[in-house]
Amino acid sequence: MSPRLLLATLALPLLGSAQDTSLHDYLIDGEGWKEAASGYAFTDGLCTDSTGNLFFTDVKAGKGIYKIDVTTGKTDLFLDNLPGISGLQIGPDGRFYACHNKEQRIIAITLKGEVEVLLTNMKCNDLVVSKKGHLYFTETPTQTIHLITADKKHIAADQGHILKPNGITLSSDERTLVASEHGGKHVWTWQILDDGTLTAGAPFMTMWLPVGKETASGDGATTESKGRYFITTELGIQVFDTAGRLAGIISKPDPMGKVVSCEFAGKDHDLLFVAAGDKIFSRRLKVTGYFGK
Amino acid sequence: MYIRHTLATLTLALTLHAAPQDDQYVLGPDSQVRADVPQGKVTQMPAWKDSKIFPGTSRDWWIYVPAQYSKDKPAAVMVFCDGGGFVKADGQFRAPVVFDNLIAKGEMPVTIGIFIQPGTFPTSNPNDKARSNRSFEYDSLGDLYARFLLEEILPAVAKDYNLTSNPDERAICGNSSGGICAFTVAWEKPDAFRKVVSHIGSFTNIRGGHVYPALIRKTDKKPIKVFLQDGKNDLDNQFGNWPLANQDMAAALKFAGYDYQFVLGEGTHNGKHGAAMLPDTLRWLWQAGTK
Repeated sequence: MSPRLLLATLALPLLGSAQDTSLHDYLIDGEGWKEAASGYAFTDGLCTDSTGNLFFTDVKAGKGIYKIDVTTGKTDLFLDNLPGISGLQIGPDGRFYACHNKEQRIIAITLKGEVEVLLTNMKCNDLVVSKKGHLYFTETPTQTIHLITADKKHIAADQGHILKPNGITLSSDERTLVASEHGGKHVWTWQILDDGTLTAGAPFMTMWLPVGKETASGDGATTESKGRYFITTELGIQVFDTAGRLAGIISKPDPMGKVVSCEFAGKDHDLLFVAAGDKIFSRRLKVTGYFGK
Repeated sequence: MYIRHTLATLTLALTLHAAPQDDQYVLGPDSQVRADVPQGKVTQMPAWKDSKIFPGTSRDWWIYVPAQYSKDKPAAVMVFCDGGGFVKADGQFRAPVVFDNLIAKGEMPVTIGIFIQPGTFPTSNPNDKARSNRSFEYDSLGDLYARFLLEEILPAVAKDYNLTSNPDERAICGNSSGGICAFTVAWEKPDAFRKVVSHIGSFTNIRGGHVYPALIRKTDKKPIKVFLQDGKNDLDNQFGNWPLANQDMAAALKFAGYDYQFVLGEGTHNGKHGAAMLPDTLRWLWQAGTK
């Protein structure tokens, strides 16, 4: 470890990190939201792959999984006959994993479209898959965080604590699971044990509330490569540092619209994509995403 | 291994960040070990791993027991947030040395010091950087940290030592987020803790702490005594402006008639000024005749 690195590491927990987490340091002047796709009903399920393609769904009216090509920027239907997916990610085995909300099931899908059903009768909303192959998903109405372990065991990993769990993501060391409250103001964290199960749940982060409201309507969640968390909320995309402190709120593309899911994609994974109703927008940041790399 | 790393972090962070404005603040004679003064004993306690208030966390902590302590007489209590940085005999604050010197002169009561690190979430791999729970514990408003002290730590210390239950003889001190934590403990539980020392306190919007000046102005005066130190060159960032926030705190305490003292120096976000003043701060804090 170089002396400079050592110094930075040592200073970080107490003081050093305070100054480097400002939102203003990683937004780029003049780089606002740009429309990336339009003409859908309710976009959701954003995820990326190693090359930086963006995949998404249209939960209400879509046919399947759509792809915004990293090179051409064009949108195509990538996999047909899979309507009603609300959460999507590519797992360590290269398959899609999906909350098939319409069919109330969790499925895995090869890039050719072959489906494996992992769990049924689940009012699943959003999911995340760890590098070890543990799959976590939120079941919003039952206030439950579910786990499907790498060896396909199903466990209700946390129940009854988090108010309408919605968005879900991992810390960049995959030791912490993170889930947002749609019906409250907190973003919860749990320690992930070696077998994938959860412990030490706590309302580690507090979202900023719209004036006069008691809920932030936390929704989709993703992680930035240095471990910051990006959570879509009624006010915008709320960004938290690794200490759980709110660093700032990125404005919504349409101030009157919703943002329900976000993910970094693009060649350098520095384009923040957001699902905003009938459209997808993107915005270049000075930071990059954790997933897909 | 991580634990030692954290301890090093705290002390080093405070010294390494020292700017020229901080170097004018140096430790005085009351912060030096004196051969003619009885020395108390610092004991590192087994890591605290069974917290019900902060489940899943582990933390290091130490107890200082002055040489004059006798189990026949309840000792005063002083808690230090980020205690690892305060407890070291050759550290920035050298709290045990200052305690030895002041207790010997009768300038503060026989006081047991409890030095506590913030919690971390250890993993099965010792090479992993454990997630810190510090901001959650220190920057959050509410009674969680006060309850952690009252329901967990103080009863554990009281098993072996005769501790006072007089809130006027219970103090809590911290730097930065530890500073606002110290204030929050007394604010939430004035019947348990009534003396606060905050150096470079984070009365900013990290997790809502910027509301304290407004709350102080519009709330019945609480029976707490507050020492605040900050530096004109302290932080200005996305959470707020530390010198302004501390001036706002001091103005609110003055407005509401509190027994308080505010020292605004030239320093940065660094403990040096607070450390240099610690003997005077403790003399003021512990002197009788609070309002």
